[in-house]
Amino acid sequence: MALLETENLVKEFGGLVATDDVNLAVEEDERVSIIGPNGAGKSTLINLITRRLDPTSGDIRFKGESIVNRDPHEVVQMGVSKSFQTASIFSNLTVRENAEIAALAAEHGSFGFKFLEHRDSLTDVHEVARNTLDAVGLLDQADRMASELPYGDKRRLEIGIALAAEPDLLLMDEPTAGMSPEETEATVDLVEEVKREMGLTFVLIEHDMEIVFRVSDRIVVLNRGRVIAEGTPDEIRGNPEVQEAYLGGVDL
Amino acid sequence: MSDEPAAASETDADTSDSIADMVGVWAPRGNEVRVVAGTAVVLALFPFAFSRMPVVSDLLQGYQSLATLILIWGIFALGFDLLLGYTGLLSFGHAAFWGGAAYTAGVFSQQVSGSPVLMVAAGTAFAVLLAWALGFLSLRRGGIYFAILTLAFAQMLFYMSSSPLAFITGGENGFTGVETAELFGTFPLESELPSVLGLLLGTWLYAFVALITVLCVALAYRILQSPYGMVFRAIRENEQRAEFVGLNVWRYRLMSFILSGLFAGIAGSLFTIHGTYVPLASFYWTTSGEVVIMTVLGGTGSLFGPIIGAGVYLYVENIVSGGHPFDFIAPFWHLILGLVFVVVIWVFPRGIWGFVRDVRDAVTGGDD
Repeated sequence: MALLETENLVKEFGGLVATDDVNLAVEEDERVSIIGPNGAGKSTLINLITRRLDPTSGDIRFKGESIVNRDPHEVVQMGVSKSFQTASIFSNLTVRENAEIAALAAEHGSFGFKFLEHRDSLTDVHEVARNTLDAVGLLDQADRMASELPYGDKRRLEIGIALAAEPDLLLMDEPTAGMSPEETEATVDLVEEVKREMGLTFVLIEHDMEIVFRVSDRIVVLNRGRVIAEGTPDEIRGNPEVQEAYLGGVDL
Repeated sequence: MSDEPAAASETDADTSDSIADMVGVWAPRGNEVRVVAGTAVVLALFPFAFSRMPVVSDLLQGYQSLATLILIWGIFALGFDLLLGYTGLLSFGHAAFWGGAAYTAGVFSQQVSGSPVLMVAAGTAFAVLLAWALGFLSLRRGGIYFAILTLAFAQMLFYMSSSPLAFITGGENGFTGVETAELFGTFPLESELPSVLGLLLGTWLYAFVALITVLCVALAYRILQSPYGMVFRAIRENEQRAEFVGLNVWRYRLMSFILSGLFAGIAGSLFTIHGTYVPLASFYWTTSGEVVIMTVLGGTGSLFGPIIGAGVYLYVENIVSGGHPFDFIAPFWHLILGLVFVVVIWVFPRGIWGFVRDVRDAVTGGDD
């Protein structure tokens, strides 16, 4: 059984079909990248899976269970985490608190009545937050305000927040968008490290072909909402239809 | 605030953990003892300095009853700040909880028991239930719609108490049948405390209100140091992200609303005990507006700011309006209040407490 499956998934905005009958399966421990030209429906697909958008028709299953009637926080609690395209962080909280918020939700559920319990007593939360910040290399900046971080570090924190939620599946929406080449390099190293050490299943949306070919086990190519090709990096590289639709016929 | 050096807190953690095992969640942690003790000391000196101390009280022209009233509104504003300053929700209908508790405490004193403690319990219980119901309905919408919904609900209650329910509330005349008994069956609230305590605190009423204020500060501080404090600020900062780390934003907001209703309820009940009367205006939208102004004036997102805001507001409303320090300004006190508000918000956007914090940071080099 696949970890994540979509079945005949359709999303229409008015007359525009942004997601057109997509059948996607992501197996456990698999690294899948979704690529496609601008407007191909990549972000829409991610937003459908995270329940930010309601599908027009079709089904999405995670661990065999349909999630189309779940709230976004319930889907996160089931084990699907997302890092955003922009640095979506808690600006006026410290870096540590940013990670702790995610760890709190992961360790203690979507809601609790612990308004009389001091935060210091939540040792499990502190530990997860600490490990996560260590993993993304921000531990030495833990007491800074998140708003004070340089852009690249904000994006790393963004990925850190997604990791602190201890997901079974991580969705990454263009994790290197807007980064300098050095920051991109560091982030790709981070993604590879996460892949190696945490054995995480992830779905990556990315423009940068170099990154996609480096980290993915399988690539799914979208164009105008439809899946036009699917395969290993080598297969995709050689696929003429992909080159035509996405790469404009340029030889890779 | 509670960020101590790691080494020190590790050794502290061992001892405080063993204490925590014995007293559970009630064990004080971090700065709690300091904050609560500091509050108690300030509140113990406040009525003396305000209304009896030579020179100082002549300058301030304060009086005992106003000192009590400042604390009562301070509790109201403190709870309101949990919602506005920390969770980022502007309610314009908190008169509902203040007024609801005030009437409940009044009717309770007439029908059941005049014990001040039980009056506060009854009023607060009503306010919490009301906050749960109104929060459930109002929090369906965000931003300005939320503010308007809360305003509409509070105005409905104002209307209900002004005529359809006048047989309970006394309608336009307000509720006049408040029958407050002695505190713990022994101490008349209006009588002076013995010896030095009488000189410092004045009446039993003040002592009772001040004790509850200290407890409220302790409760609010604990809430802010609990996971809730962090979650509230996270929701204020980035609601969508909070949802996408797996937090049920809606339920946390409802809890924030109910908790602020709890404080409003405590304050509203004390208001009835203080005035032995419930004016119809308790439910009016101006009451909701006043608590917003007090909170913003004192500084949102702080523990003590709103209490100071309440003090400044009531001082202008009661002392400056009486012609202090200059007789000729008496008729213009509304204008003075407006000017104070405008100047504070212009010069210190984070309120009076924000300014105090900036000064302290400048003096101590930013070390908290």
